Order: sequence, then structure tokens, then C-alpha cells
Amino acid sequence: MRGKFLKVAVVATATAMLATACGGGGSNDETAGKSGGTLRVYNAEPAFLTPSGGDDEPSLYVIRQLYRGLVKYNAQTSAVENDLAESVESTDQKLWTIKLKSGYTFDNGEPVNADAFIRSWNFAAYSPNAQNNGYFMKRIAGIKDVQSTDPDGDGPEKAPEPKAKELAGLKKVDDLTFTVELEAPFSGFPTTIGYPGFFPMAEACVADIAKCNETPIGNGPYKIDGNWQHNVAINLVRSDSWKGDAGKPDRIEYRIFADVDAGYAAFQGGELDVMYTVPPARYKEAKATYGDRMFELAGDSFTYVGFPLYMDEFKDKKVRQALSLAIDRQSIIDAVFDGRFAPASSFVAPSFEGARPDVCKYCQKDVEKAKQLLAEAGGWPAGKKLTLWANAGAGHDQWLQAVGDQIKAALNIDYELKVNLQFAEYLETADKKKFTGPFRLGWGPDYPFMETFLYPLYGTGAGSNNSGYSNAQFDELMKAGDSAASMQAAIPSYQQAEDILGEELPVIPMWWRKEAAIYSENVDQFVWNAVADADYGATSLKQN
Amino acid sequence: MGRYVIRRLLQFIPTVLGTMFLLHYMTSLAIQFSGNPVRALFGDRTPPPALLEAITERLGYGDPCLSQKGNWCIGLFGDRLQSVFFHFDFGINLRQREVTDLVADALPFTLKLLVIAILFEAVVGIAAGVLAGLRGGSFTDYLVKISTVFIISVPIFVLGVVVREFVGVKFGNVLRGQDWIPDVISTGMFSPGFKPDYPFASLIIPGMVLGAVSLATTARLTRTSIMENIRADYVRTAKAKGLTNKRVIGVHTLRNSLIPVITFLGVDIGAAMAGAVVTETIFNVPGIGRLVTMSARTGESSVVVGVVTMLVLVVLVANLLVDLLYAVLDPRIRYE
Repeated sequence: MRGKFLKVAVVATATAMLATACGGGGSNDETAGKSGGTLRVYNAEPAFLTPSGGDDEPSLYVIRQLYRGLVKYNAQTSAVENDLAESVESTDQKLWTIKLKSGYTFDNGEPVNADAFIRSWNFAAYSPNAQNNGYFMKRIAGIKDVQSTDPDGDGPEKAPEPKAKELAGLKKVDDLTFTVELEAPFSGFPTTIGYPGFFPMAEACVADIAKCNETPIGNGPYKIDGNWQHNVAINLVRSDSWKGDAGKPDRIEYRIFADVDAGYAAFQGGELDVMYTVPPARYKEAKATYGDRMFELAGDSFTYVGFPLYMDEFKDKKVRQALSLAIDRQSIIDAVFDGRFAPASSFVAPSFEGARPDVCKYCQKDVEKAKQLLAEAGGWPAGKKLTLWANAGAGHDQWLQAVGDQIKAALNIDYELKVNLQFAEYLETADKKKFTGPFRLGWGPDYPFMETFLYPLYGTGAGSNNSGYSNAQFDELMKAGDSAASMQAAIPSYQQAEDILGEELPVIPMWWRKEAAIYSENVDQFVWNAVADADYGATSLKQN
Repeated sequence: MGRYVIRRLLQFIPTVLGTMFLLHYMTSLAIQFSGNPVRALFGDRTPPPALLEAITERLGYGDPCLSQKGNWCIGLFGDRLQSVFFHFDFGINLRQREVTDLVADALPFTLKLLVIAILFEAVVGIAAGVLAGLRGGSFTDYLVKISTVFIISVPIFVLGVVVREFVGVKFGNVLRGQDWIPDVISTGMFSPGFKPDYPFASLIIPGMVLGAVSLATTARLTRTSIMENIRADYVRTAKAKGLTNKRVIGVHTLRNSLIPVITFLGVDIGAAMAGAVVTETIFNVPGIGRLVTMSARTGESSVVVGVVTMLVLVVLVANLLVDLLYAVLDPRIRYE
């Protein structure tokens, strides 16, 4: 029988070898990592590869290499630099005139002219097109006329067709010039248009958006090689039609992972050159293993604990200050997050122009002062529990519990956690202002301008103002900043507005996420853009 | 035979409808209780109501019954059945892609994985079972018994992660450091997960992991069955007739011993599909299993309903085929 077993084993191995040989036959050496010009990067499955649709991280990483917009951001300073725009100017911060550089084309030969931008922006804004980035067109005049709401809420009637098909605020002057009229003056407008939602789209792309999503027609330094291989890979190659600064790698291969741990295993196995994120549980290990090949930067992703100001308990700012003073942010970051965050003491990301540390005077732990402030406010209602809210399934309960424990230890306020709502329902609760206690939420900037951290979160009636904060003086200062003569001139007003927040504390600033990216030994120079994050086109490989 | 098949096929209808309704009800309940998944797409940015509504409507979450807790959403179910059976339209996911496209993309990967898994468990499992069964109490017997207990007692999600970390990453890195080993082995087969450059080689290890648990069962089943049959009268007769050992074992014993094993393998296709949900996620195989995981995470009801319904059909068909195969293997069984 022994002989028989061997035979079976030999046959089985031979079959396996044969099978592997067949499978491997189709590949070439290009992906072995040594041919120099191919950058292999980690990515999750993008939602969309069209500028009007993609608003999530994995989509943006690809779109930013396929498409280019009017302006780009300086990698270090995040300052706005013209890219396809010759100039972006305005005298009153309301009517902006945009002149384009000539000679740029899409991959299909269509010119990148004023129409390309107007077409793209109109397409995104028109609500029946259901494009995620319609959100970003909200400042342009006429936005209300291209979006329509269902008259009976969720009822049987369908939303009527919007009044207009195009944004009234966009006007073509000549082939390379167009004007944008905003609903209200906004000095930071030039910083907003570097966001991929404002990138141009070809006529052929808008005509068949589904096809353009599978095989993008870009205008940037790279073009797609083949199609979007859903859930597997997206391969980009140099585009011949691009006239600007060429990208460094000849080819960028985005490998798509459903699970960041699987991506990390692939990185460890030498299959990836860059991972823009590290699985939280492996952070310490990655830092120890890759050392100087780990790039870290205190980012601009903000976590805060908001107060439901519509509840009586939180109306007195002294209560809010006391609660903030009871929290030792650094100890939570060290204990729960292995130091993957940086404590926040202000409301605007530290990397932003005009940001200052310690705007919040109540963001360092000081139990004595906290007790005193709470006593001045008349104390906490006896027997009432403080309900702390977070969404389920994202690991927030752990740190929120630490926050609760610290508050209890410092101020003797009993707390309970309410962490059972899924993200969707949690956000709906936020939209409806139904929280019954301090709630965790986050915020990421849409453009590198102080305003993005201020008005949307704290402006009266602003979209993401989930605390229901309203302060006339704050609104005034925001308006003054918006209509200031230039971006620099706007900063003092915004800083004063931020100072008000630092005193009134409508939310407790918690921390900024530290971005951590790792790259392989094949990478010569890794470039991280302060606004656009990992810049694959600018990242160079070691040539041998 | 023909009537039997038709009867079985007719039984498919209530099974499929029942499954679809259960899935429909569960996913609707999930939306009713955990909120509109479209809102979660926007995260911290509160979308303008008009935009939210337009996208919700486009993605098929606009039915008002989805905001009434406990509502059965019969109307929505009717619409769903209508579009599935009359237009072969399974709906779209949150990214506005057709579910049928998603499945068409994912299916080849899962099929390859399943073929590898089933082949692996059949070939290795039966071989081990035969070896152990023929010599009960021998060293091989104990080896097979003990090693299968080990495999059975490790859940597949543990086995998968351990194999990925130690075989794919650690051992694979050693192999990749050796120049004499061909790429297809070092970067293909021993890759820590699926790799588009080696679409077949990189699936071998995930397939083996997927097949491993059932392999243990197959081996033990074969072993017991062989042990029983080897003492049967007809085997003794065959031996007494002076037939070669090869023929006695290969034809008389093995063929009869394989009946329960074949049944098990057939039923196991269904179980392997379920295992694929875990294995594919761990090894990043872009197949059906990973699709189900991802859509369950984001609450994409149309994908869950569509894909799981298709899986149910696969299991039903596989079971039917196994039952028919039964008659082929065992002449005593007749379907009237």
C-alpha cells in the first residue's frame, strides 16, 4: 500500500504544479517589483471613478491621478496653486472669473475648456442625477432650482422635476473663460475648487456616465489601462495627452482589498509599495518593523464630543467647560489608541493656515477648576445620568467609556453609554437633533481653508451643526471672513470666531487623527500632500 | 426518474420564495431599525434633503414602509419578485451597480476556489481515509485520526488568518528571498492572498484552507466506511475468488464505501459556499463570499437578497445532483 500512497501523492503534486504553471503563464515580470516604473498601492474598492460621484477616500485616490482640476495644493504648505486655471479672480468674492490655460485635452481628444467645467458642475448639482458630489455645489447661485424635494416627504408622490437643468450662477464668457456667481460672498472659493468634485468631465463622459465610470475619460497625468476591474485592481498608465508636470511612476497599480488586514498581509509579503493606512491593531508592530519607512503626520481628521444645546442641562457654558476640563485626552490616546491621535486644543486642524494651538482654554485636564465651574453653574442635576452617545460597531465605546470614567471621577456625575445605534441611524438621529447627551462625531475638511472647520459645524442652521449652536456674533464674524478681500485677510475674522468657540465650547474638541502610511523599500521618495493625502503620481521609485 | 426530477424542481419554488421572503423581511427590518443606509454614505456631512432623497429613491430605499418599524413591506417584496422573475433585475447596490454584474464579476473566482477546495478535500481526504481504513490501528490510522481532530477543532476564520500570516507572509517571504524558486510558487502560490497576476496559483492555498475542515470529515467518513465494507461478505468473496488486491480494494470496497462520502461532498458544496464568506474575506478573493460580507456590512439589501437567493439555488441544484448520483452509485436505489 505504501507504493500506492506515493503514487497518489506524486500525481496530486504533479497536478498542483501543472495547475500553478498554467495560472502563472499569463503574467509577466512587470509586477515583480524590480522593473522600476510600477508603483503598487493599497486601495479599497472605490465608490465611483467620476468626479461628480466619488467622494470617499478610495475613489479620490484614483480620481486625483486620472483627473486634474483648476487648482492644486502645495504638498507641504497646502497653499493653493493654479493647475489648469490661468487665474481665479474676484473683486467682490461673489462673482468669480476663471481663466483657463489652453492646450489641455481629455484622453479622448476633447478640449478641457470652460464647457468641460460647467458641464461637470451642472451634472453634479442636478439632483435627479443622484451624484454624491452635488453636495459641494451648494454655494453656487441657482443651486435650489436644480434640486427638488419630494412634496410629501417619503410619501407616494415622486419629487417633481427641478425648475432648472443648469446652475444659474455658471456663465461661459469664451472658450477659456467662465464666471461663477456664488449665493453669498466667499473668499475661500479658490481653495474649494481643488476638490475632485470640481474636476472637469468630457462630453462623452456625461453622455454615458455608467461607461465613463468603468473606463474613465480623464484629463490628468494618468489614464486607465483597460477597465476598472471591480474589487480586484485599477491600473493606470501615463497619459500622452497630459501637458503638465509628468507623474513619476510609469504605471500605478491600485490593488483592491476588502479588508485592511488582508492588505497589510500583502504589504508584508512584498506585494505592495504603499499603504496609505495601517490596521489599528497592527500599528505598533508596523511602527517597530518599518521604522523610517512609516510616514506619520498629525492629520486634519477631527473627533469631537458635541453637546445637545437644545437640552437644558447643557445650556450653561460653565457646565460644558467643566466637562471638558475633566478629560485627560493624552491618557486616553495612549491607553486606547496606542498614540495614534494627537490631542486637540483648538477647532481648526493644526496644519491649516491661521490655526493656533490652545484656542480652547478648557481642553487640558484641571479637576479643581472643573469642580469650581460646575459649582458656579449650580451643579449637575442630582440623580440624573449623563448619556454619552456613539455609533455602534466602530470601536467608539471603548474611549467613550474612558471619557465617562474620567468625568465620573472628577465631577462625580454618573454616566451611561448609548452605543447601540448603527451609523446610518446614528446620523439620522443627529440630523433630527434627538441626542439626549453628549455625542461623538467627526469632521474632515473639504478644502484647506479655516472656514471648513467652522461654519458647517457651528454656524446657525448649518448642515452639520448637530449641537444646534447659534451665536449671532460668531455668524457675523464668519460673514466678515467670507467677504474679506482675500484668503489672508479672512483669517483674523475666522480666528476671532474660533476664539468664541474656545470660550463657549459648543463641542469638546477631542483629537486629530495621525495619518500613518507605510511604504516599501522600492520607494525612493514618498510624497504626502497636506490636503490630498498620499500623492502617488509624485512618489518616485528606486531605479535600478 | 423524470417525474422525480420534476417533483424536486417544483419543490424548489416554495423554498426559493420562502428564502427570498425571509431575506427580504430581515433586510427590511435592518433598515427600519438601523436607518437609511444612504445617509451613512455621506458620513459627517449632512447632505441637502433634496440630494439625499434623490439618491435614496435611485437606490431603491425610497419605499415609505422602510421607515415603519415591523412593517412586512409586502408591496416592496412584490415589486422585487416582479423585477427578479420578469425582468431578471436584481436591483443595484449602493454604488449604482447591477447586482447581476456584481455576481457575474465575482462568480468565476468563487467557482475556481470551490473547485480547488472540493478537489483538495476529495483527493486528499479520500486517500487519507483509505489508508487509515485499510489498516485500522496502524500508525497511519492514528496519524489521520489525530490530525483530522486538529483540523476539525480549529474554526475556519482562525485557520485562515493563521495560514495567511505564517504560510503566506512569513514562509512566503523566505521563499521569495530564494532566487531559485520560480515566481509562480514564491509570489504566486505562497502569496498572502489572492493576486490578480496569478489568478489561479494564488487561489490554491485559500482553496485548501476552505477545503480543510471538510477534508477532515471526508477522511473520517471514508475511513469508517472502508472499515465496515472490508469485512463485508462480498469483499471476502472477491478475495476468495482470487481477485487481485487492487481490484478488491479499488472496485469492490472503495466504490461501495464512497456512497456516503459523495453525499457528503455534494452537501458540502453548500457549506463551502458559506465558508467562502470567511475565507474570501481573509484572503481577499473578490468572489461571492466577499461580496456578501461587504454588502452585509453596509446593509445593501438588494445585494444580500440577490446573492443569497442565488446561493440557495446552487445548494438546491447540488443536492438534487447528489441524489441523482446516488442512484448511479448504488444500484439498489431507484427513483420512481
